[in-house]
Amino acid sequence: MDIINIILVIFFAGALITAFAAKISSIVQDILFIGTILATSIIFFLNINTNTETIINLSHINLTLGLTPLSLYFAFIVFGLAVLAGFYAVGQMQGKKKKGYFYFNYLLSIAAMFGILVSKDLVSFFIFWEIMTWSSYLLVIYNGENVQKTGIKYFVLSAIGAYSMLMAIVIIHSLTGSFLISDLISGFNNMSANMQILIPVLLLTGFGVKAALMPLHIWAPDAYSNAPMSYTAIFSGALSKMGIYGMVIVFLTLITKLPQETLIRDIIAWLGAITAAISTLWAIKQDDAKRLLAYSSIGQLGYIVVGVAIGTPLAMLAGLFLAFMHGVFKSTLFMVVGAIEKQTGTSNLKEVTGLIRKMPWTFIAALISIIALAGIPPLGGFVGKWMLYESLITSNHYLLVTLVFFSSTAAFLYCYKFLFGFFLGQEEKEWSHVKEAPAIMVVPMLILSLISVVLGSFPQLILKPINSALSYYSLPDTYNNLWKESMIFNKWGDQVALTPIVYGVAIVFIVFAVFLFFKNRKTSRYVTTKDISTSGEVPKEHENLTFKENFFQPFLRAVEPAMKRQMDKYMLAFAKGLEDLFDFTRRIYNGNGQTYAIYAIIFVIILLLLSNNLFS
Amino acid sequence: MVGTPVLFIVIPLLAAFIIPLTGMVWKNSVRIIPGLVLSYMLALSVSLMWHITETGTVVEVIAGWKPPIGINLVFSPFSGFLATLMIFLGLLVWAYSYKFKRNVDSEPALKYFILLMLLVTGSVGIVLTGDIFNMFVFIEIVGISGYGLTSFYTRRDSAEAAFKYLFMGSIASTFLLLAIMIIYSQLGTLNIAEIADKMPMMSNKLKVISLIFFILAIGIEAEIFPLNGWAPDVYTQAPGPIGAAFAGIVVKSAIYASVRLVYTMFDLSGALDLFIVIGLITFIVAETTALRQERLKRMLAYSSIGQMGLVMVAFGIGTKEGIFAALFLIFNHAIIKSLLFFSGSYLVYNKKNKFIKHVNGMGKYLPITSILFTIGAFAIIGLPPFAGFWSKLAILTAAADSKMLMLIAIILTVSILEAVYYLRVINRIYFFPKKKSTEAKKPTLNALIVMISLGIIIMVIGFYPDLITGIIDRAATDLMDKTGYIKDILTINN
Amino acid sequence: MEKYLEILNYTIYGAAILLLLIGLYGALTKKSLIKIVLGLSIMDSGVHLLMISIGYLKNGTAPIFSPGHENELAKMVDPVPQALVLTAIVIGFGVTAVALALVIRLYKHHNTLRIDEIKNLKW
Repeated sequence: MDIINIILVIFFAGALITAFAAKISSIVQDILFIGTILATSIIFFLNINTNTETIINLSHINLTLGLTPLSLYFAFIVFGLAVLAGFYAVGQMQGKKKKGYFYFNYLLSIAAMFGILVSKDLVSFFIFWEIMTWSSYLLVIYNGENVQKTGIKYFVLSAIGAYSMLMAIVIIHSLTGSFLISDLISGFNNMSANMQILIPVLLLTGFGVKAALMPLHIWAPDAYSNAPMSYTAIFSGALSKMGIYGMVIVFLTLITKLPQETLIRDIIAWLGAITAAISTLWAIKQDDAKRLLAYSSIGQLGYIVVGVAIGTPLAMLAGLFLAFMHGVFKSTLFMVVGAIEKQTGTSNLKEVTGLIRKMPWTFIAALISIIALAGIPPLGGFVGKWMLYESLITSNHYLLVTLVFFSSTAAFLYCYKFLFGFFLGQEEKEWSHVKEAPAIMVVPMLILSLISVVLGSFPQLILKPINSALSYYSLPDTYNNLWKESMIFNKWGDQVALTPIVYGVAIVFIVFAVFLFFKNRKTSRYVTTKDISTSGEVPKEHENLTFKENFFQPFLRAVEPAMKRQMDKYMLAFAKGLEDLFDFTRRIYNGNGQTYAIYAIIFVIILLLLSNNLFS
Repeated sequence: MVGTPVLFIVIPLLAAFIIPLTGMVWKNSVRIIPGLVLSYMLALSVSLMWHITETGTVVEVIAGWKPPIGINLVFSPFSGFLATLMIFLGLLVWAYSYKFKRNVDSEPALKYFILLMLLVTGSVGIVLTGDIFNMFVFIEIVGISGYGLTSFYTRRDSAEAAFKYLFMGSIASTFLLLAIMIIYSQLGTLNIAEIADKMPMMSNKLKVISLIFFILAIGIEAEIFPLNGWAPDVYTQAPGPIGAAFAGIVVKSAIYASVRLVYTMFDLSGALDLFIVIGLITFIVAETTALRQERLKRMLAYSSIGQMGLVMVAFGIGTKEGIFAALFLIFNHAIIKSLLFFSGSYLVYNKKNKFIKHVNGMGKYLPITSILFTIGAFAIIGLPPFAGFWSKLAILTAAADSKMLMLIAIILTVSILEAVYYLRVINRIYFFPKKKSTEAKKPTLNALIVMISLGIIIMVIGFYPDLITGIIDRAATDLMDKTGYIKDILTINN
Repeated sequence: MEKYLEILNYTIYGAAILLLLIGLYGALTKKSLIKIVLGLSIMDSGVHLLMISIGYLKNGTAPIFSPGHENELAKMVDPVPQALVLTAIVIGFGVTAVALALVIRLYKHHNTLRIDEIKNLKW
């Protein structure tokens, strides 16, 4: 049996066994869960081979599975995050109900993502896509809050995406007679002009939903914040990248062959940029850390879409690099929120405060990831964003780069809010009992932060796989002359040019900080919010003195017009309207048997009247 | 040869007369004998299915009168497939309701199992017969046993449902007779093969009128819009498993009849387009109506009607892929909707109104039933890796191959609605708190076995559709082959 | 004379269809359940009459082969519609019986026979 089949079988069997292992013991269940993930990832990393193909023969459809360099790159993200978030999940799920349910769907969605990546034909792609959708749906409603609203919204949007993809798939099959992706690519030139537009648009709609592209993003804030954080790390880090994966293929193979290429690229890129800008603004407004990160995820995915859509070699590099980076730092941040929520019971930025001394390791992970997210050198996020800006400027998208730059800068605000809200500020008595999260949760976060740091200095570690992925789809080889592509790389092409300077500045800064710390250690004193005796007036209990209330209010007031209209509300109103309409139309069945008989006679009369036209 | 198709009709009818007599001696025979008869029929039809793969269609001549004069039964790959499916479902319904109403005295149980057997017999007869008047008789058998089963419970509104069904059924039978008489007066024959052969001789106007009357009559049984007002009431008020029997057996036979009309008897080209239009309207109206239902069974009923509309659409596409897709959907719908009705009636067991809100929180108390319901719902939505996905893919592929892009778009859009209302129920099952007043009733062992085996079939077909696609493919080829059908029957010599 | 008989032929058809329409009218417009059942019955009768008239042959004989009459095949009335109509009458009788049984139960349940007041199941 082939490696891919073995991995899939282990996944499915592991998911089933884990789900029912709760009957034996909770520990066994944890071990089985971790064992499944480890076994599959080890088998995968030991047997990476992009040449083999497995064909599963069904009478009328052949399912073809095999790795391509591009899917290999995304498989790194999926498996890496799956393992780390898996360990984290074991820690986070301790003592929770429905563990079997969680593990089952977790494993299933990882298996489905792996399946998507190894699918070389559209049917198996769609099958795994749908498995991914419903297993993630089941995890989105895991908490049981707002299931009818959040869950259904997620599923409906996913279904819109999946079904437009399915429509594209059957159309492709009718035109080329095959479900193979390679046949689609080779046969695309022979299609009629209408189909050449229709197919990419349908496919992009499908991928755009998972990549949370406007206006298909409305599911994301609720879904990301409703799922358990250990899964949201995967959800935002890896699952959303499946949409990016699909978009990369569509842009590299289909859009490039179109006469309207630049138009479509611009439209998608603008959608991505607007998504980034608007959702950054919304992120700043949130008080719940989960929702803040959810909106931030949408924004970051917007950047990636911009890079992929522009599609010059550098932009592609930037997009794919950011995809990896986003997977790393955003899942760390979601894990941080999960850890804090587990220890304090809430994820509200207004309530939790001053955890820096209570949860130092979590703080370090959060700090590093926030720096990476904000795009501050020397971490990985900086490299990606730099490449993105440069690619936009060199391809003359000045307005676009302004918008992207604006949202990237605005992102500082919520980054700060996140850090300050949880970790800084005065310590409250309420949280004096809080302890650091268990090691099994902290270590994955620290490993991920370490990756962020390493990639900031050695981006070539993943630029090489990206390059081979892109050259598989016949983009020019960029790896050996990275310095030609972007001025961020030094002229040997293996380093980020700015890194030595940045490290120099950082070292000076740290030395200075340490100096200050030691100098003032004796005299400093920790105070709580209510401890303002120096001003002579003792505040009453209910007075809220933290300035976390109405964070950034002037800024939000300034951008309010842009946020007045929310897509979400329009869509919900539309759905409500439709439901009311259907509620009205079902009154056709008015309960009177005689009316039904009259319908029957009317039916006959109509048919008789139309018979000349019908049966000519 | 193991047996002849005539046994499908003779044995159950004979048994129906004998059972009341044996019931006087041994009460339990009333529920056992129908099961034995159905198992025998299943064995017979499976062995006949094997048989015809080697020898081709079996045509059974009754009473020595050769076609076109006498009545004949045709066991072809197409009709045999449907007959086997129906008998299998009938057996499942029997097994599911074996312990049904044990606490009641044997009188209702007596009626129930005999009527169930007759329902299956009538439906199988519709599928097997090669004579339209004979078909009318079988439709009436199905109808009358259906009225009886619908009004089985005396304390519910079942009489109302049964009366509506009867009202529509009577209109259907009147128009069916009219259509049959128009054909007979013009062609002088009742044999389907000979009618098909002589159809070009008939004047176009009468042809159209008789086809329309046929569509009205059979459309009432096939639950097409706007003739399906009775259907949700019947599904709601009949005992739970009978809902499955209606969705899986009765409607299928009506669909068979309409397909036989359009593909074999009539040579009118517009009829297939009419199928698409009617099927699509049925699909849309039923699914939108299902969205805001308050009662579980009513929701399932509308969903079932919608699926039948989709089957009509698939038949209306008219290519072999379309027929393949339609038959695949028929098969899937039969097993999936039965599972949904079976498990659904335990989720709302013994509630007077059977509101959807009664399923709240049942996931905890009826874990297996809930999981099975979930599997069924996922399968009917068409999510892989469950069985329903393959038939949906087949329909869409067939539509795409015939360049019907709008059709694909409409089907997919409406499918989203379907997903919404099923997921709402599933969310309620697992995530809503149970009310104290609602009481969970554990399924009996036989019901559990039936449901689990249906669930396993759904999963197995989902992972390996080839188990069934070969048979369906042969059936589809058989239906397309009109001249072969005529030749098989008219040139029989034995 | 021939001509009048020709017309008579059509009158039978006409009468049958008239019967059918009367029945349909009754079934579709009357509110009483009993009247609806009556209407359905009348519809059935109309169809039965139509069936019989299709098989009718002027001066025809019974469709029985008996010695000495072998060559009267052309004069025999068509036996098939008669057989069919017998079956149809039996079925119609059964359906009417079931219908009346249901009407009795509906009356007990709802205390009314008006069909537009028996609407517990709808939408």
